[in-house]
Amino acid sequence: MCEGIESYAPKTAAVVFSIEIGKVSCYSSFDPVPEKTYIYHLWYLKDRLTTRKRLYLKPPRWSTYTSIQLREADRGPWRVEITDKDGNVFKTLRFSITD
Amino acid sequence: MDTQTLMTGLRWQDVLDIAFISYILFRLYILFRGTYVSRVIAGLALIWCVKETAQYLGLIVTSWIMQDIIAVAALIIIIIFRNEIRSVLQAKNLRAIFWSVPRKTEATPLEVTVESVFRLARHKTGALIVFAGKEDIDDAVRGGVELNGDPSKEIITSIFKTQSPVHDGAVIIRKGRIYKMGTILPLSRQEDLPSYYGTRHRAALGLAELTDALVIVVSEERGDITVAHDGRMTDVSDRFVLSGLLERHQGVLPKHSNEQSEARLQSMIAAVVSVLFVTVVWFSYSRGLESMMTLEVPVEFTKRAPRMEILETSVNTVNLKLSGSGSLIRATRPEQVHVKLDLENAVAGRNRFTITGENVSLPPGVFLKQVDPQVIEVSLDAVGVKEFPVQVDWVGHLRDDLVLTHAEVIPPRVKLSGGLRLLEELVTVYTEKVPLESIAGAGSLRVNLVLSQASLQLAAGAGQRVELNYHVQKRTVEPKTEN
Repeated sequence: MCEGIESYAPKTAAVVFSIEIGKVSCYSSFDPVPEKTYIYHLWYLKDRLTTRKRLYLKPPRWSTYTSIQLREADRGPWRVEITDKDGNVFKTLRFSITD
Repeated sequence: MDTQTLMTGLRWQDVLDIAFISYILFRLYILFRGTYVSRVIAGLALIWCVKETAQYLGLIVTSWIMQDIIAVAALIIIIIFRNEIRSVLQAKNLRAIFWSVPRKTEATPLEVTVESVFRLARHKTGALIVFAGKEDIDDAVRGGVELNGDPSKEIITSIFKTQSPVHDGAVIIRKGRIYKMGTILPLSRQEDLPSYYGTRHRAALGLAELTDALVIVVSEERGDITVAHDGRMTDVSDRFVLSGLLERHQGVLPKHSNEQSEARLQSMIAAVVSVLFVTVVWFSYSRGLESMMTLEVPVEFTKRAPRMEILETSVNTVNLKLSGSGSLIRATRPEQVHVKLDLENAVAGRNRFTITGENVSLPPGVFLKQVDPQVIEVSLDAVGVKEFPVQVDWVGHLRDDLVLTHAEVIPPRVKLSGGLRLLEELVTVYTEKVPLESIAGAGSLRVNLVLSQASLQLAAGAGQRVELNYHVQKRTVEPKTEN
């Protein structure tokens, strides 16, 4: 999880983000990528799914990310589940949006 | 209320109650029998019966008057009979009051006579006492003064004192009473009497020869006692022998067994009457008036399968409307009333139970009239264990120059036990809120876990607190780019 993406790389990775920064991103990198496929980034606030984004991957390796704009009501514990197209979870990233 | 209901509602306390009061009543009878107090108590019992009958028949004024009399009866008894009560309490020890049965101390005429004869003998006072038999002795004796009084030691000894004008004559006892005194008896004409026999002995033998009377002689010179009967003279030195001779002569049955059995019979009748009376009073008092009360009672759930858990219930308490006699209703305590629901056949999910009389246990004599609410919904769930990830719930504001780059929870996952449905709904276990303001560098904390459902709990071996290790970095300041 990071505050943004710069030059195709995550900027300021952290587990706590102030709502003041306005945006938070989830950066994922896959190596290798055997074939063209897609994954999902599932964003949960307090175990409630808020955003589900499909991201395409292309061989031989691929990096991709999703971002959400932060609103006042978004404070709390978050997690992003990175899954394959069948729902298998590759990774769960946990972070918090605070004041 | 029929007899069966009355009897089945009887508690052991009630039996004890009746037995105790019956015994008190029985003891009162034993202590005060023969006195006016016992008659007054019997009278009050009669008044109570009249009052009950009057109430039953609807005689308003009669029952009202009787009720008032009974109400002040205790006071009346204590005031009027204070002397009798005091004498009983002062004269007797606790054992005598609560246990033993006093024997009658009233002596019979024969006992009085025997006692008097031996007293006269001790004092060497001459005496001549005739016990008339079946034959008439009036023709055989002369003179005398009619007395017709009950014999007593004092009278008999007074008669034979030398100062008494009739001391030389004989006392005649007939049918248990002193019939005459100072009577002249016919003298015997026997010539072979012992030389130490005097005129009294000769007179005694003279009457014994002519009639079937028994004559007791007390020698003035030697203090000996001789009995003349059936033409023979017998010296007597033992009071039991004299008593035996008199009893046989008077045709008296062995008095002890007879009197004792009679006294025992009287006591048994008194005991039975006491029990019957108190039982009637008890039933009349305790079962007479119907009273109602409402009690809020918690519902107890029983026989729940070990793998099942109660998620929620529509109510935790029910209101029971109870009825019974006033005394029993007043004596009913909440802890004596139980509402139990058997969950043996309950299934996971929502269950509906109707509360009936079988679910409610009440003290004997108290009856269930109404249950509110009558239907209770109980949601059950099978109990299971599941593992969950732990996530830190950060709050507050981190210093602007810091970036919290990493946080590690140890252990990262915890096991919870509880209803399977709840466990299925749960995804993450969060820590308590951890404030960021105090963080200035890397560190470690111990934080509590927060369980969203009260029915969930940490599985055995899992601690309520977890360790939180965190790392921070100084935020890198980006070089300003000039346009």
